Amino acid sequence: MNSAADSFVLKGAHVLDAEQGIDKVADVHVAGGKILQVGPREVAADTKIIDVAGNHLSAGWVDIHVHAYGTLGFANPDTVGIYQGVTTFVDAGGPGIGVLDQFMELLGHLETTLFAGAFIRPMGLLGLNFIEGDVRTLGEVPITRWVDFARQNRDMLRYIKCNAIGDYGPGTLKLTKGLAEILNLPLYMHIGEFQLQNPEHLLAPEAFRIAEAGDMITHLYHGNLGQVLDENGKVLPVVRDAERRGVIFDLGFGGYNFSWGVAEKAFAQDLIPHTISSDLQQFNVVRPVKSLANVMSAMLRVGMTLPQVIERVTRNPAKAISLTDRAGSLKPGMPADITVFRVNSGDYEIMDCYAQSRRADRQIEPLITFKNGKRFDVDMTMGQDENNWFLQFAEDHVPSRAARLSDRQRGFLDSLASSLSSVTWEVGSAERLDIEKALALQDVFHQQRGRNGLPLKDALQAVYASFLDQSFTMQIGLLLVRLEQPFVVGRLRDVARKHPIAA
Amino acid sequence: MTERPWHQLAGIRPENTKYPVRASIEGEGIVIFKTKSGYRGVQRSCPHMNATMMNAELTANDTMVRCHLHVFTFKLSDGKGVNCPGFKIKVYEVKEENGAFYGRLAN
Repeated sequence: MNSAADSFVLKGAHVLDAEQGIDKVADVHVAGGKILQVGPREVAADTKIIDVAGNHLSAGWVDIHVHAYGTLGFANPDTVGIYQGVTTFVDAGGPGIGVLDQFMELLGHLETTLFAGAFIRPMGLLGLNFIEGDVRTLGEVPITRWVDFARQNRDMLRYIKCNAIGDYGPGTLKLTKGLAEILNLPLYMHIGEFQLQNPEHLLAPEAFRIAEAGDMITHLYHGNLGQVLDENGKVLPVVRDAERRGVIFDLGFGGYNFSWGVAEKAFAQDLIPHTISSDLQQFNVVRPVKSLANVMSAMLRVGMTLPQVIERVTRNPAKAISLTDRAGSLKPGMPADITVFRVNSGDYEIMDCYAQSRRADRQIEPLITFKNGKRFDVDMTMGQDENNWFLQFAEDHVPSRAARLSDRQRGFLDSLASSLSSVTWEVGSAERLDIEKALALQDVFHQQRGRNGLPLKDALQAVYASFLDQSFTMQIGLLLVRLEQPFVVGRLRDVARKHPIAA
Repeated sequence: MTERPWHQLAGIRPENTKYPVRASIEGEGIVIFKTKSGYRGVQRSCPHMNATMMNAELTANDTMVRCHLHVFTFKLSDGKGVNCPGFKIKVYEVKEENGAFYGRLAN
């Protein structure tokens, strides 16, 4: 028996735990933030009992594809994590080697455990539709920097991501595969939407050829060019070959990459994703993705059983990112990461990314999340709040939070403004962004920060507070290059010199 | 600088009560929204993925329009993308006079 102070029992839920072969009503005993046992056990008289009868319960959900950071991210990433039943997630490509330090400083404080699926390009994903300069930056893979970072931050990195899109051949995929091998990490490849790129040469088949056992391919059921199906709707041999080799297929629903037609045809041929992920970002959280739970409901509708769905958000993703020591099961001694959920019956509409919908008679609804035994009540509305996903620069006013910056932060902004006043740059178009200039502006930021002896986080927050009302995070060079130079310099000076601050 | 001329809009009648509504100006299709501060026209489709702006919604106290498909949001004043830098839509001034609608490019 444990002392009752930090112990509780989740009583009466139907427990699903593939790792232990549990699929029945059972009590879950928690103490000291860890799982004690699933099943009958003697408890102290004053141990807290939480009645969850009538509901389901599993290990905390793991979403290996979200966008928490950068131009696709959220003001508060926990809103699509712990508050939606997800206890662990991976940022799929937000940071590259040039900004991993920023990523770690800013997002190390979340309630949801966040890992990096780092992107091959130094700046990480740029988001939106900029024709991303994979080829232009092929020379920018600083092996020594990657290896040094991985030595110091081994735990943070879970895979290396690249996009299998573009018209310049498979070089990027092979180069990313090489880096992943050097770092002993899985390769994670996006097939699917092209945005504004011209898809004359399909790289998706090449992705399936390059991937080895343990590598991952995301957006399995996308309906764009480069699908997993041939023109007759049959699963391509190259996809089957990859499956036989042990390549992991990830769902990656997203705003562009889930098609009911493809999913139904592929599922009927037993082509089933090993992991279910959402690809949640600020451009798809309102619709069609909404939440990992909504994506799980879609998988029920495609034809998976409930245990199959739960395994794909617990044990399978934990295995895919080598996290089985900490997540994905309710074995004794594991962290008490738990999701309590309900399977509702009714009439529901689930949209794909191509304006097609299906009626579903079941819906998965998370209710309570536990992270290391700490309770969070699910609130699905937080993620949908416009303040959480609508990233706009405060063009006509200084954000009120700028008033709370320290004198040292203001001093830094003043010197940053002076440095930037002698630099010129052009704001990018929808098609082109000057990545080299963004990196150069980032260098200026770091130089001034160094001279002012300001910690990275304080310097980043000073710039964010000058331009953003909400606490979005973004690659600092990308933030600057997106704004007109005179506006940047003027605003930094206004904040530094405490010019009148409007509401 | 001479003032840009107004053009009578085709395909729209004053008895229209439901907005947004399609119209055309000089042969170019536009969508007209009725905002708190009057009528405003925008190009027919979103520059992102060509979704129809008929499904777009007014936001930010009717000063912006947001595409339904991926929440790309544009200012009605100058057409600039708010959460999608580099993207821009054409916006039109629209007025009703003597039972007819007139418009001209605003940006």
